[in-house]
Amino acid sequence: MRTHGLIGLLIILLLSACSGGESTPGLSEVTSKEWTDIEASAEDTTVRLFMWGGDEGINQYIDDWVSPRLAENHNVTLERVPMNTGEILQKLQTEKQAGKTEGTIDIVWINAENFKNAKENELLAGSFVDSLPNFNDYYQTDDPAFQTDFGTDVDGMEAPWGKVQFVFHYDAAKVDNPPSSFEELKAWTAENPGKFTYPNADDFTGNAFLRHILYAQAESPSAIYDQPLDEEAISETADDTWKYLNEMEPSLWRSGDHYPNTLTELDRLYSQGEVWMTMGYNEARAESLIDEGVFPETTRSFVMDPGSIGNTHFLSIPFNSTNQAGALTAINFMLSPEAQLAKLKPNYWGENTPISIEKLPEDMKEKFQSVERGESVLSQQELEESFLPESEAAYVDWMKEQWFNEVVQN
Amino acid sequence: MIRNKRLFYVLATLLFLLPTLILLLQSLSETWRFQTGEGLRFQLDSYSVLLSDPKLWSATGWSIGIGAGVLFINLVIGIMTGKALATLSFKGKPFVEAIILAPILIPVLAIAMGLHLFMIRIGLADTVLGVIIIHLVPTVPYSIKIFQNAYRQLGSPMLEQPLILGSNPLHQLFTIELPLMKPAIRSVTFLTIVISLSQYAITAIIGGGRIITLPMVFFPFLDTANSSIMAAFSIWFSMIPLALYVLVEILLLLLPYTIMPWRK
Repeated sequence: MRTHGLIGLLIILLLSACSGGESTPGLSEVTSKEWTDIEASAEDTTVRLFMWGGDEGINQYIDDWVSPRLAENHNVTLERVPMNTGEILQKLQTEKQAGKTEGTIDIVWINAENFKNAKENELLAGSFVDSLPNFNDYYQTDDPAFQTDFGTDVDGMEAPWGKVQFVFHYDAAKVDNPPSSFEELKAWTAENPGKFTYPNADDFTGNAFLRHILYAQAESPSAIYDQPLDEEAISETADDTWKYLNEMEPSLWRSGDHYPNTLTELDRLYSQGEVWMTMGYNEARAESLIDEGVFPETTRSFVMDPGSIGNTHFLSIPFNSTNQAGALTAINFMLSPEAQLAKLKPNYWGENTPISIEKLPEDMKEKFQSVERGESVLSQQELEESFLPESEAAYVDWMKEQWFNEVVQN
Repeated sequence: MIRNKRLFYVLATLLFLLPTLILLLQSLSETWRFQTGEGLRFQLDSYSVLLSDPKLWSATGWSIGIGAGVLFINLVIGIMTGKALATLSFKGKPFVEAIILAPILIPVLAIAMGLHLFMIRIGLADTVLGVIIIHLVPTVPYSIKIFQNAYRQLGSPMLEQPLILGSNPLHQLFTIELPLMKPAIRSVTFLTIVISLSQYAITAIIGGGRIITLPMVFFPFLDTANSSIMAAFSIWFSMIPLALYVLVEILLLLLPYTIMPWRK
């Protein structure tokens, strides 16, 4: 008898959970209001920002700079929740499946493949970027970098929060003249065997390094980033890429028998002086590592011909956010010139801004231009001249597969 | 014998004490770039980074609370099921034993997705109770196995005696079974706490960011080349099983017929 009672209770619970819950108003309903009304309805609410939490500089920027100011200016409590993007998306996916309309996430930090997945599975609330005053006032709204994200149309579903560019780092005490093209890199590696390597293709950074070589072997980089992936059309370029990598392999660290699994492993090798170069997205990332004594003080950075890939990362609102007005207010604030300036300064994060400097008021413009990003960071001009956009996200997976077949197994 | 003992101490020092000592030193110094021939530069920055994280204390509290809850439920389920499996014989027993072990043979993440869906429906997602329940999945099978063996070693004569003398089952549990199964309780304590403490993905998904445990603050830092911060976090992390272990030892002293250590 008792077990029957339990099962009955369970069924009642299941049924009540399925039927209940009023749906939250659609995002378009919120964005159609006047901005001042949106901000007013966001007052006295809590916004939960879910983001990767593995960098104390980034965490402190949110906790010590953004949160207190958002509370002061808009009366919005910002709660940062550390969670990897993969888990965030899985959580949203299951909630979508279960029909849970009241989620716990109001803002996610997202880009590239994750955005593609989220958009395809309808995990995002919808288009909102056009309603953000700071975006309209201070950003080049039709910039292709904001229109597509690794080849996926943004459709206003995520707001540009920052941008990073791929650079190489070297120890100036050991390397006098860093290579200026990928051919020179190969020659340098042959002269200094064992002093260079790259993370394998499964790693985000290692994959980007390999795509640089694909860009370099193509007639022009635009032959790759302007084209959707067509394996036959790029077969010649691909062959040149494998040839380049295979020729380079014997002079890599441990003769290429082993590649670092992650950028972290490569960074550790560089930190120990085993290799003389490392690499990574975010042109300013070496600054804090030098400060902490992880990288040698003589660390500098360089970019090579034909250029360096950069991308934008975004903030978005999930489909079941319960505080869309609060999320909009917080995102708008994080896009503001003040917040972007604090993000650019090396004391917290030191990351580049997607804002258009020329659209800023005069005094703000000066403040942006006078920021000293540190000795290991290349000049803004040099970075802009070498900038290359990302290719479609499909190239990333293609590279993962092919690299293993063509380089590791050969 | 004496030579074996000496060998044991040498090996224990080399393999256990020395790495811990290096970890402790690294947490108190800048990232040690030993291959460049540099020495240790002592500083306390790693601990100040650790302590400046506003979530550290609440995450530690959540981890301890969840760990204690998981441990308690494990002891209850483990002792009851273990005893049943060790003393009773019934039809289909091997099948039941296999079913009980199943959760550790299937990846927890695979179970977590289905369970998440179920927990959303019954309203357990994003709650502490939900997290405790999901932590039972990778821990309970071990506890049952450990207690099953403990009861088997105890043997049926030891369990029949109190029955003949007219003791009730609860009295029997506290005066005979638990005191004799102290080693099993210690193993289950350590294993359960350590497994529960190191669950990242399932805690993140079921806890939904409402329940922030220590690994959620700590694991993302695996992506940094700064080993000092990692070392400081690891030291902090290891304090929790240690603290709970001491707590359980104190509780074990409360069992009847225990010789207090200061009376030896």
